[in-house]
Amino acid sequence: MKRKISKAVVLGGLLACVSAGALADEEEIIKYRKNVMKAYAGHMAAAGAIVQGKVKGSALNHAKALEATVQDMAGMFPAGSDFGETNALDTVWSKRADFEKKAKDSQAKAAAFAKAAGGGEAAAKFKELSESCKACHKDYRKEQK
Amino acid sequence: MARWPALIALLLAGHVLAAGPDLAAGEYLFRAAGCANCHTDREHGGAPLAGGRKLATPLGDFYTPNITPDPDTGLGRWTEADFRRALREGRGPDGRHYYPSFPYAAYSRLSDADIGNLWAYLKTVPPVRQANRPHVLPWYLQPRPLLAGWKRLYFRPGPFVPEAGKDAVWNRGAYLVRALGHCAECHTPRNRLGGFRIGMYLAGDKAGAEGGLVPNITPDKATGIGRWRRGELIDYLKTGMRPDGDSAGGLMAEVIDNGLKYLSEPDIEAMATYLQSVPAVTHAVRKPKPARDEFEY
Repeated sequence: MKRKISKAVVLGGLLACVSAGALADEEEIIKYRKNVMKAYAGHMAAAGAIVQGKVKGSALNHAKALEATVQDMAGMFPAGSDFGETNALDTVWSKRADFEKKAKDSQAKAAAFAKAAGGGEAAAKFKELSESCKACHKDYRKEQK
Repeated sequence: MARWPALIALLLAGHVLAAGPDLAAGEYLFRAAGCANCHTDREHGGAPLAGGRKLATPLGDFYTPNITPDPDTGLGRWTEADFRRALREGRGPDGRHYYPSFPYAAYSRLSDADIGNLWAYLKTVPPVRQANRPHVLPWYLQPRPLLAGWKRLYFRPGPFVPEAGKDAVWNRGAYLVRALGHCAECHTPRNRLGGFRIGMYLAGDKAGAEGGLVPNITPDKATGIGRWRRGELIDYLKTGMRPDGDSAGGLMAEVIDNGLKYLSEPDIEAMATYLQSVPAVTHAVRKPKPARDEFEY
């Protein structure tokens, strides 16, 4: 037991060291948010196929996943994470208030889709969510690589 | 009492308009041609169509002009013939050449009727007084007569001629993509002189419009959109959602939001028909994925 605790302490210490290296931290968050976005896109495509009747399945499960995948969209874009392997535009930071508004709107639309996914409004709410993705990408993302 | 003549004039004007150009058609064309995208400085909250948007290119920074009907700073004093010449020949009312940052290579293909309707619509938008900003170009690109040479090399004016042997849907799609939508302006890579690279029609650009990546939209399976099904392409044009669940961003999101989403179902389908018929070009614009280190599914 004691050994386990000491291991945890050592691990914790290591983690603290890593997070102290600010640069490493920013690279990690860029990777993290890319993975989150990929997962998000995957569920969008899957939910879309279901609400459009292309395949049978539970739109609700994907909608719940979409709602759960992002807890804080804007929080994935902290100051300083604008360098390196990112397609985020500088406007993410220079027009922060609007960016956060659009990010929050997307989260709200995901929640609304999750509520509606079992019923007749599913396709409409899905479309609204997809529109909100595009609205944010329009001003804040540019494919660069 | 003084109101009567105005009212009669209005009724007469309405009557004349009904017989002449079609404003609804003009607005539709305005959407399909995407005029508002470049002629509005959206990033800085500019008034619609008052210009001032910066188009950063490898050759210099172009600032789009005011195309509202303001008499002093916009097109208020233009005649329809002036407008027709701008689109068909890429020349201003004073005869000077336009830089091809204005996509007259595409708009030259518009039909006479469409140019007339587009002009009728443009005259109805609210006038905005905003002076044009001069382009910022290196000294050697500033003399406009140079553009006559450019046009000799790269510009073939004249309206779209339907291709014999292709059906009406294909030809409608070709007209929408080549003339109105001017898709090639961004999606076809250019050489150092700003001309389209031969054999690379719609094959994408690594550093195209605004320095961003412009995808290859030819039906090439490996590097283009050859794996997209027809329905997926139609959905994308209407909504901006790609088959992989990602959403369009940047300039393409503007093209969809201000234009494509207003187009009729048959027109979107015609565009898809045409786009899926162009020659497939293998041209990778995206960075190849690292062999390891990346999760593949």
